[in-house]
Amino acid sequence: MKAGLPTSATITSVRKLTSDTTLFALRCDDPAAAGAPLPAVASFLPGQFLELSLPGIGEVPISYCGIPSSDGTIELCIRHVGHVTIPLQNAKPGDAVGLRGPFGLGFPLKSYENQDLLLIAGGLGMAPLRSLLLALLVERGQWGELTLLYGAREPGALLFLDELLYMSQSSDIRIYLAVDRRGSCLEGIPHCRAALLPALLDQVMLQPERTHAALCGPPIVYTPLVERLNQLGLADERIHLSLERRMKCGQGRCGHCAVGTYLCCTDGPVFNYAMLKGIEGALV
Amino acid sequence: MRYMEISKLQRLLDLLRQQGELHSPVLGDDGVTRFELLPPGKLPDLAAIRTQLPPKKYLLHPQETILTYQADAGYRVPLATVPAMILFGLHPCDLAGISYLDRIFLGDEPDQLYLSRRAALTLIGVSCTPDEFCSCRLYPSPLEAWYDLFFQQSVDGIAVSIGSPRGAELMKILDDVMEERELLLPEDTRCFFGRKIPLPPESELDQGLPEWQVLAGHCIGCGACSVCCPTCSCFDVLEFGGLDGSSAERLRRWDNCLFRSHAEVAGGMSFQKDRAQRFRYRYRHKYRGFGQVKGVPGCTGCGRCRAFCPAGLDLRALAGKLEGDAS
Ligand SMILES: Cc1cc2nc3c(=O)[nH]c(=O)nc-3n(C[C@H](O)[C@H](O)[C@H](O)COP(=O)(O)OP(=O)(O)OC[C@H]3O[C@@H](n4cnc5c(N)ncnc54)[C@H](O)[C@@H]3O)c2cc1C
Ligand code: SF4
Ligand code: SF4
Ligand code: FES
Repeated sequence: MKAGLPTSATITSVRKLTSDTTLFALRCDDPAAAGAPLPAVASFLPGQFLELSLPGIGEVPISYCGIPSSDGTIELCIRHVGHVTIPLQNAKPGDAVGLRGPFGLGFPLKSYENQDLLLIAGGLGMAPLRSLLLALLVERGQWGELTLLYGAREPGALLFLDELLYMSQSSDIRIYLAVDRRGSCLEGIPHCRAALLPALLDQVMLQPERTHAALCGPPIVYTPLVERLNQLGLADERIHLSLERRMKCGQGRCGHCAVGTYLCCTDGPVFNYAMLKGIEGALV
Repeated sequence: MRYMEISKLQRLLDLLRQQGELHSPVLGDDGVTRFELLPPGKLPDLAAIRTQLPPKKYLLHPQETILTYQADAGYRVPLATVPAMILFGLHPCDLAGISYLDRIFLGDEPDQLYLSRRAALTLIGVSCTPDEFCSCRLYPSPLEAWYDLFFQQSVDGIAVSIGSPRGAELMKILDDVMEERELLLPEDTRCFFGRKIPLPPESELDQGLPEWQVLAGHCIGCGACSVCCPTCSCFDVLEFGGLDGSSAERLRRWDNCLFRSHAEVAGGMSFQKDRAQRFRYRYRHKYRGFGQVKGVPGCTGCGRCRAFCPAGLDLRALAGKLEGDAS
């Protein structure tokens, strides 16, 4: 595998999710022959990430948002915030990009077997947790209770709302939503309250000795969430968080992403809280 | 032991020149000693304790193209044939610095540019006498330093040790200027290689220690300490589109963990907001290591950061404790 060299890929579909966030589907240009293994970058675990290149503009780390698919399609959910991601706002099917990955360690699915799982997403943190959620639903029988708590700024910023509401109709999963600001359409959304994310935890009953929590959200929500989970009896080792850092290589070389003596790109981005506890600046 | 009289130095350099481009510390007209091409007839500045920039500049250029893009071919690594080059006059700390970079850029999946340059390099070390800025004696580098040949300076000549098959080959070519001598070598600086020292205790990274605020208060954030450090290898990556609209170049260039931008993410949010925090980041990297170099102290003791800091700072403000631990 040449992790340093982007492979050529093409955008196959573009779906605006909110005013500043788009879901892209992409496929490598060098498709593996039928039956052959997927290209390395299309074979990944939830929680891992790739480096997306926009030729002539730059490269950014982006989490996988879907699950590996037999035709090699990769889904990425991107918020348009800066130098590279804003030009992506104008990307259309057929546009060429570069991809390298997968990088990092994802969520520890092995240790989730037969456990109750509590997924907690804030804002764009829904992107990697959607990957985890879809993977969990594919093998629904492997896990105990599934619960998703998801909070966003306002109703219009809830990502994948249609999908989530559809899922919540089945008994496979319980979904609780929250928005910081009450918007006009709040009443139309089932299971949704105007509240901060940690408050949603008051709604769930969890059995701490058989529960794992997977968190992804803006750094500011981590400390209150972890505190609350600890109060509910969840041990530090059972709390997994996906961290964001500036990343320039994904390969443990550029020196930008250290968290204590861990590197976020190779030792993370998913860490259990026991590893992070006490490290200066780990959560904020 | 193979030995060369100092009078034969010019002849030795001529023999080396036949094997590749010969670079060594050279005293420039501006009074600065730097690693550069050694022109015929000129002698290397073997008395200089340190060059301003370490030899990392040969392996990681301050700024370089790491990928090129063409719409029809995608991204490519711009590999060129690298001519053989001999670095003559590397002090043990600089050899150790190169070994440290090897750990980061070689290994399982070598960086292609680094590898091509490293493979073309022959490393010839030379012994030295530490000055007040060096900390190799107090804080010996536990890195294994690789070299092809090592020249131990003595009163009237140089005793040579061979460190690699390439070094052994080279010695055959240099045989003309060598003789055999029975020698009892004084303890040379290589004796520090391979020595294990304890890692500094995590308690030194305690945010509450006043030393951090003192350091941060005097630092002007110029970044000289990282530029001149033989093991600082953080890089930033930039991409530029060509005017034709279908080509691009991706560059990497030396970066610096004392700069605010180093840990900034979208929206101006930063994980290393204040300077004291960034000092701890550097300290942790140098003395405890992370990633491939976790647990490997990365300070080779070359003394550059202390010698060149315009504010006269010593990252090892907590050194009293450190040195106590190391002994
Ligand atoms: C592991 C990981 C997964 C991510 N997953 C997603 C995702 O699924 N969807 C999504 O929209 N965003 C994701 N991000 C954030 C995304 O990488 C940044 O928004 C993006 O790098 C911003 O780049 P820019 O050039 O558009 O912005 P600018 O602010 O112009 O960026 C300036 C520079 O800072 C760097 N930078 C800025 N913000 C970040 C950041 N947050 N992380 C790393 N480097 C940064 C960029 O590389 C760039 O060189 C993820 C980040 C990480 C580390
Ligand atoms: S050389 Fe001195 S002043 Fe400059 S960044 Fe380093 S510590 Fe600060
Ligand atoms: S930290 Fe200072 S003394 Fe140590 S290797 Fe780097 S420049 Fe030399
Ligand atoms: S992204 Fe470069 S070291 Fe982690």
